[in-house]
Amino acid sequence: MLELNGVSVRYPGGEQEALSDITLTLEQGEFVCILGKSGSGKSTMIRCINGLQVPTRGEVRWDGRPLSKMSEEQLRKVRRQMGMIFQHFNLIPRLSVMQNVLTGTFGYRSNLKNLIGWFNDQEKQQAKQVIEDVDLSSMADRRVERLSGGQKQRVGIARALVQQPQVMLGDEPVSSLDPGTSNHIFSLLEQMHRRRHLLTIINVHDVGLAKRYATRIVALKAGKIIFDGKPEQFTDREYLETYESQEENGKTKNR
Amino acid sequence: MWFKRKNLVTVLILCLLLYFSMRLTEFDLSKFRDFRNMIDFLAQWFPMDTSKLPGMISDSLETVGMAFLGSFIGLFFGLPISFIAAWNTSPTKPVYHLSRFALSFMRSIPEIVFGLILLTALGLGPFPAVLAIAFHNIGVLGKLISELVEASDPGPQEAMKAVGSKNWFAHLFSIVPQIWPNVLSHYFYRLEVAIRTSLVLGFIGGGGIGQRLFNDFKTFQYSSVSLDVLIIMVIVIIVDLLGSYVRNRVI
Ligand SMILES: Nc1ncnc2c1ncn2[C@@H]1O[C@H](COP(=O)(O)OP(=O)(O)OP(=O)(O)O)[C@@H](O)[C@H]1O
Ligand SMILES: [Mg+2]
Repeated sequence: MLELNGVSVRYPGGEQEALSDITLTLEQGEFVCILGKSGSGKSTMIRCINGLQVPTRGEVRWDGRPLSKMSEEQLRKVRRQMGMIFQHFNLIPRLSVMQNVLTGTFGYRSNLKNLIGWFNDQEKQQAKQVIEDVDLSSMADRRVERLSGGQKQRVGIARALVQQPQVMLGDEPVSSLDPGTSNHIFSLLEQMHRRRHLLTIINVHDVGLAKRYATRIVALKAGKIIFDGKPEQFTDREYLETYESQEENGKTKNR
Repeated sequence: MWFKRKNLVTVLILCLLLYFSMRLTEFDLSKFRDFRNMIDFLAQWFPMDTSKLPGMISDSLETVGMAFLGSFIGLFFGLPISFIAAWNTSPTKPVYHLSRFALSFMRSIPEIVFGLILLTALGLGPFPAVLAIAFHNIGVLGKLISELVEASDPGPQEAMKAVGSKNWFAHLFSIVPQIWPNVLSHYFYRLEVAIRTSLVLGFIGGGGIGQRLFNDFKTFQYSSVSLDVLIIMVIVIIVDLLGSYVRNRVI
């Protein structure tokens, strides 16, 4: 179970909070899509969940334990239970699909001894399995820069899955993909979500995708939650409210 | 309109600089009146004297060994240091500043100066020359590689962090594959430079083909000098070819 308790983030030099007073409880098995305009704080929120971003106020709890109280070592252990996929895939160039997927096991390595042990058979077997799950077996030895965008994102998903995660985080995982491929990636995510009983939390810009796959939609605006509910409750009214440009104190905010 | 008073001043200053530089360096083309002497001199270089070829070859190997070992030690220590001298991977600010300072210090001492000191302290021979090359190259490669590290894509690093990887692990695995081809380019360039440096270090007693060239020259054995020079040219070309071969294979 993941809890956000009054989480706020103010970036150094930021005139207002990028995330302000977010309180949410997310349960295993939920498929949550986070909607919001550019700059509304979606990425910031996702990054707070696995501790890549430290909240200025409030706290994030994983299984009841606040991340802020954890040592670096404990935080690593939390992170390896949370897979993360990225808009720009963030794969390691010049390495093969297989090698990239195997880097997903690095959370389980702590010292030089492990490094010298390189990858054991069990890890290789797991990697093979997840590569098969994302349907890339025929390309396992291909270098990742020679893949299409959709294939790259499938490698990203495989890398996250090999962690045996309980949570799957996605920061706009389909924003650089075409609609057909986006749909394919989402159905893959849903399939994995069901099979492994994950908690999936994904930022999207495509409301259609969110309504089709999510079990819960959270909409952010200027760092605040303005909607939290079932996809069918997210109607045109909420849609407009989420995406209409906001005029604050009469001045428009330029980014 | 490019013709402005400001430009005129620039040209004037440039002319002055050129004039004084020529005065200081006794730049005088009329010295070529005795050009015939030069041709006579060069004529003494031929035919080449191949009788000392085996010694020359073993000296050349010594030179290549010096250059390779020196630049490799430079890479071996420069690579890890570059990571603590790059702002995005350095453990702490003080370490960052300290390592950058150390690298520029090493870089600022020319190999020849360091060679002179070490050759005096440790005695003549290739070993001090290797150290001189290594020391300088730690500074140069450390700096160049730290710039590559700083310019590397932060995405993969973030991904490694999200995976729960240890920091140094993340750096090693997400940055090294990205920068590796460029590291090799720099390394091979430095190897080439090290070959030339080891020749100069040979002149001051560092051994190798450089020392032989110097000795042959001073003892007027010009027919051996010509072969020394030829061998040196061949070495430089081979290293250059090898470098581009390896680079092409890696990229
Ligand atoms: N590293 C940073 N330093 C300073 N300000 C930042 C930083 N990252 C984000 N911000 C600011 O925080 C706010 C929220 O940014 P965030 O990236 O979370 O938005 P987002 O909803 O993910 O937007 P997008 O859809 O464009 O990715 C924005 O106003 C942004 O300018
Ligand atoms: Mg974002």
